[in-house]
Amino acid sequence: MLLTSILLIPLVVALLCLVARQRILLTALNISGFAIGLVLGLKLFRTVLAREGAAVTEWGEFLRADALSAWMVLLISVVSLATALYAVSYFRRDLAAGEVTAPRVREFYVLTPLFAAGMLLVVLANNLGVMWAAVEITALSSVLLVALYNHTTSLEAAWKYIMLGSVGLVLALFGTIFAYAAAVGPSAGMALPSFNWSRLLEMAPQLDQKLVKLSFIFVLVGYGTKAGLAPMHTWLPDAHSEAPSPTSAMLSGVSLKIAVYALLRFHILSAACLGGEFSQHLLLGFGLCSMALAGPFILTQKNLKRMLAYSSLEHVGLICAAIGVNAPLTVLGALLHMGYHALTKPVLFFAAGNVQQHYHTLDFRRIGGGLAHSMPATALVLGVGAVAVSGLPPFGLFVSELTILAGGFASGNAWVSGVMLASLLLVFCGVLIKLARLILGPARAAAPPREPVAAGRTVAMSLPLAALLLFSLWVPGSLLQLLELAANIIRRTP
Amino acid sequence: MNLPSIEISSRLITLLATLMLMLQLLLVVQRMLISNIRLFALQSLLLAVIAAVVAYVYGAWHVLFVAVLTLLGKVIFLPWLLQRLVRRIKIEEEIHPFLGMPASMLICGALTVLSYVVARPFTSLARLGNNTLPVALALLLTGLFLMINRRKAITQVLALLTTENGMMLAAIALTTYGMPLVVEIGIFFDVVVAVMVLGILVFRIRESFDSMDVSKLNELKG
Repeated sequence: MLLTSILLIPLVVALLCLVARQRILLTALNISGFAIGLVLGLKLFRTVLAREGAAVTEWGEFLRADALSAWMVLLISVVSLATALYAVSYFRRDLAAGEVTAPRVREFYVLTPLFAAGMLLVVLANNLGVMWAAVEITALSSVLLVALYNHTTSLEAAWKYIMLGSVGLVLALFGTIFAYAAAVGPSAGMALPSFNWSRLLEMAPQLDQKLVKLSFIFVLVGYGTKAGLAPMHTWLPDAHSEAPSPTSAMLSGVSLKIAVYALLRFHILSAACLGGEFSQHLLLGFGLCSMALAGPFILTQKNLKRMLAYSSLEHVGLICAAIGVNAPLTVLGALLHMGYHALTKPVLFFAAGNVQQHYHTLDFRRIGGGLAHSMPATALVLGVGAVAVSGLPPFGLFVSELTILAGGFASGNAWVSGVMLASLLLVFCGVLIKLARLILGPARAAAPPREPVAAGRTVAMSLPLAALLLFSLWVPGSLLQLLELAANIIRRTP
Repeated sequence: MNLPSIEISSRLITLLATLMLMLQLLLVVQRMLISNIRLFALQSLLLAVIAAVVAYVYGAWHVLFVAVLTLLGKVIFLPWLLQRLVRRIKIEEEIHPFLGMPASMLICGALTVLSYVVARPFTSLARLGNNTLPVALALLLTGLFLMINRRKAITQVLALLTTENGMMLAAIALTTYGMPLVVEIGIFFDVVVAVMVLGILVFRIRESFDSMDVSKLNELKG
């Protein structure tokens, strides 16, 4: 019943929040729900390890969790818990400033657990059609979160997000249908061939090769849109910058990786059917394209949250490209990178949320500089986060990026690693220049007064950062073991 | 189940699918919003009939369930919802597309030819309704074109729904028996909820911008 309860808890929380009125009750429900989710996620982690990678299944294989799913469940629960903790102080301040109304805040507390439940279903569903439906649930629940403020710009962002997302998902469903059609031929005679991923993988060599190829292309464009791969990324900076900061953290921290996960399931399938080259080259191409595109946009960026969104684009690109290289080290590095990025990005979005609430703008030129003076706690968190996200030691992203690059060079893909290195450098310069000016630069004359010290807010903000620092310096052996199992699933090596 | 009946129903399905494509082309040239919604309802009705035929020929009763869902959802509920939305926000009736009628028609013709070329390697699959894959792809491509060509938010929603019809056609016809029931139900409810969410957004956009012209949504750049 472990998988079922992991899915049901956020769903129950969402339903309870629908009837609860008081804000304190709403926050308590959210936080406790996600905390229980994290505990269950850890339990799943240990169960999968104890079985040495054999999948946990429930409801007659309807729900299935292998090492890869268990890793994603952990990421989802950690980020949602961090978000719920930060949202408390964020919305308290927004309500006080009259930025949102109480019903809207309740909307946030109903939709966020729903969003999380959708993501959990994506990673736990075995049936590829159900997985698609779950991705659609995450898109629909998050689009209303993006439009929460009801500004003209947030409505624009939401509209672009839902339109591009829906087109992407229609294409992904086409791809899913083709995958199913590929299985119809070989299992002729059966009334209804199974659409479970595990079953399709077993019969992969007999699948119709042309259909599998077509299916992967459709799915790549479809889920690639949701993952924000260039050139289908145009919704991403809009949605991430206009959403309330807790939602931006969820979108960037996990939602992008969930789409990558969905893509990976098809990648594994197509690699088993066609051999790896076809899907690997496509992933590599789209990944490198996203990485190369992010740098220039970061260097010329005027808006803090848009800059962070482009940085997410770059990291997703790196993850896809690393999986495309398909060396043992790069795949492991990509999985590690997912985790570290999931801990870093929310911190940055939280800090950006504070800046927005204090200055009422995210425009670099209008803020000017001097964040270190006007809001020291936020500036510190933002600074440390910036160092982490640009891949400097001692933070984990340095380790994972180094692993990926080294894996690339070692497996003879020198030019791939070269391109990665160049775009990483570009982003590194961009992020550090922009944020250094923001934090340390001279303050503008019309700067608002010093931010009042709020201990709760600072603690909520820096918790993921503390976790990042801890796991950067010490990766538990069991976690590494899980990641190796997950990498073996992706690379199809026993 | 004897062969002639499969032969006849295969032709029937091809005929119905062709009619769906014709309705799609009518949608491209039709300028009145309410007629657009009715054309979509009619197209969905044809889809429901195709599903019913597949269900009857193969005795696959869960596909009949899909037909009923399509009838209730896409033929009755969604058109009703969209028409109510149109009346409630009192938008003008006429659609002003970016490209004129002749140009749109030519482009859609080209897209249809393209989908036949793309689908060619797969039409040799000896299955019921094997001619429907090109139609499904044509619905997808022309639907995407419709989305680009129209300014009003609600017409974009309609275009999205027609691409969705194309997808259901592929799902029902290409895979012989349709998809497993749980998947079909999931897809169906997602579509209904998606349209509701879109309706909420259309309403809010109309309130904030005093217009439904999505080409005015151009503040966010870079």
